[in-house]
Amino acid sequence: MSNQVTLSINNQSVTVPAGSTIMDAAQKAGVSVPHFCWHPGLSIAGVCRFCMVKVEGMPKLQIACNTPASEGMKVDTVSDEVKETHKWALEFHLINHPLDCPICDQAGECELQNYYMKVGKYQSQMEDQKVLKPKALDVGDTLVLDTERCILCSRCVRFEDEVTKTSTLGIFNRGDQATIGTYPDRKIKHNYSYNLADICPVGAFTAKDFRFKCRVWFLKETKTVCPGCSTGCNVNLFQNSNQREYYRLKPRHNADVNGHWMCDTGRTMYEHLNASARLASPLLSGQSISSAAALQAVADAVKGLSADKVALVLTAQYTNEEYAGVLSSLKTVLKGTPKVFVWRDESEKADDFDGILFRGDRNPNTRGMMDVLKEHAIQPTMLKGDFSALAGTSPEVTVVMGPEIEAGYPNLQKALSRFSEMKKAVYFGNSLTDAAKKFWLRVPVKTFAEKSGTFVNFNGVAQKLKANPPVFTNVKAVDEYFAEVGKLAHTAG
Amino acid sequence: MAYVNVSRDPERNFKNGYLATSLLGLGTTLVTFTKQVFGLEESNTVQWPEVEYQYSDRFKGAHFLTKRPDGRVRCTACFLCATNCPAQCITIVAGESPDKGVEKYPVRFEIDILRCVFCGYCEEACPVDAIRLGPEYSMAGLAERKWVYTKDYLLERDAVKRKVGEKQTSKKDENVKHDSVDSSLPNIHIGGSDGH
Repeated sequence: MSNQVTLSINNQSVTVPAGSTIMDAAQKAGVSVPHFCWHPGLSIAGVCRFCMVKVEGMPKLQIACNTPASEGMKVDTVSDEVKETHKWALEFHLINHPLDCPICDQAGECELQNYYMKVGKYQSQMEDQKVLKPKALDVGDTLVLDTERCILCSRCVRFEDEVTKTSTLGIFNRGDQATIGTYPDRKIKHNYSYNLADICPVGAFTAKDFRFKCRVWFLKETKTVCPGCSTGCNVNLFQNSNQREYYRLKPRHNADVNGHWMCDTGRTMYEHLNASARLASPLLSGQSISSAAALQAVADAVKGLSADKVALVLTAQYTNEEYAGVLSSLKTVLKGTPKVFVWRDESEKADDFDGILFRGDRNPNTRGMMDVLKEHAIQPTMLKGDFSALAGTSPEVTVVMGPEIEAGYPNLQKALSRFSEMKKAVYFGNSLTDAAKKFWLRVPVKTFAEKSGTFVNFNGVAQKLKANPPVFTNVKAVDEYFAEVGKLAHTAG
Repeated sequence: MAYVNVSRDPERNFKNGYLATSLLGLGTTLVTFTKQVFGLEESNTVQWPEVEYQYSDRFKGAHFLTKRPDGRVRCTACFLCATNCPAQCITIVAGESPDKGVEKYPVRFEIDILRCVFCGYCEEACPVDAIRLGPEYSMAGLAERKWVYTKDYLLERDAVKRKVGEKQTSKKDENVKHDSVDSSLPNIHIGGSDGH
């Protein structure tokens, strides 16, 4: 017997490995079967009874998520019988659902809401009072739990048991009194808690970080890559484009990199993108100047210097294209290769790994930066807690490409103070810290959300970033700045 | 092919001309004026602002926010009015209410009245009868006036109190909240519970 089975779904033939379920086959065939409790990243529970399909030869409808596909099976997902079943299944799911969609953050991306719009009964026949349960419970630093909205799909319980293995959650009581909750004196406090809000098909778990901030239908998503660590999780970045305000990140499935999840540290990667957290215009000795004047100042400073009088300090938080652009522009201007340093935080343990996704190397593009430097035949000097190597070369101009994600640099202030002591220290970055204010020249740069480019993760997987419109239109990426500097130095010389 | 000559109005004659029609109109005005001066006919003109015109109860004038019976704002900051607004004149900032039975309330609720087109879609969209277009129609003012109506203004202004009065408190049923909404953990952990 072969290890492949062929079945037909809505008269469409599909071949899947033996042991697959009808749901797997439907996913492969591109047929959407409505479901609540089934999640591709978790085990099968079969509790919501919503993914009912008609299998020819079986007297009753079967659940697609837990029925193995077999050879020659004929499955139907669109007949009136199936639709009628979905309608009634929803009616039963909604017996005790509070229908407080107007104040529920999930509204707009709620499975219950979406399916109800498609196949709902609209006229409920339930006469009894709803069972009332606790609302707005504090179940950890990141989440709020509303047990009334819960439809007991058990996704969150399985996530805690299988992915993080923390087992904080359980279903208590029976029947219509059944309630999801944390065990006594335990709170959800691992680094993957926001995934619970994501996988919750209704609004039972909502994220404190996003709670009441914005309705989801105002948000537009961009497919990009998380810059929080060297794993490079695939994410959707959500922006309210009318306000030019970023609100959150959510994981995007990529089996090779992050699977279905991302960590809570990565979820904060929208905070530094908004205007209030950023430098708006270049500052020369504390005075606000135009970008053109700032670049002119850089061009004047580097013009006529020999290559070894210019030091370039890199952090691994820029794209491959930016490194290549900066290096080639500087090479043309200086007619040689500048001294290149790589700045790592002194507390960094680059090989740390939490066993799920989060890595100790808090730079998204360490691999890519090293590759680019190798291409340019540059052997960089490491600056990690000890800055004597930089001071020893006594450069005339020091260009620092600062970290975009400052959380990965706990000793940032100390390091920045050291850099700013150098002669003509130029800082490219959006830092608003006190230490950054001491630099001779500070130039704001584009963030990961505003540029197209490539990050190479710890595993050598190159991934593309996708650009949103910039928050500040005058702000450019470092390679664009240096191309400009190259032109200015050329015309002046 | 047949042509119609439109360069000259076939009806044109002295009776339809400028002078005759102007005099005719003036005549009508004089006749009506005279009748009204001698009290033979009642005038339709309202002497605003001394006399206020009474529009119907369904008139869509300046907005106001309704209240709960205890006097707090009725709005739950669901953003449906802001979503539905074709002029995008409603700005809401939502916050966590200290009352867990309410949960969400508007910290800020602002209407840019200069952008508003008085379509009433906000009223239509509201699921809790929190925003209404009131009877107030006289909204003119000078440039230095605050043209963005704040939450306080929408709730508490005198014109609304005078014209709407008691009706500002919405009688719409509220969701009944369980006592346990104030508990910090599911009720299963409090005291000995049945089941489990």
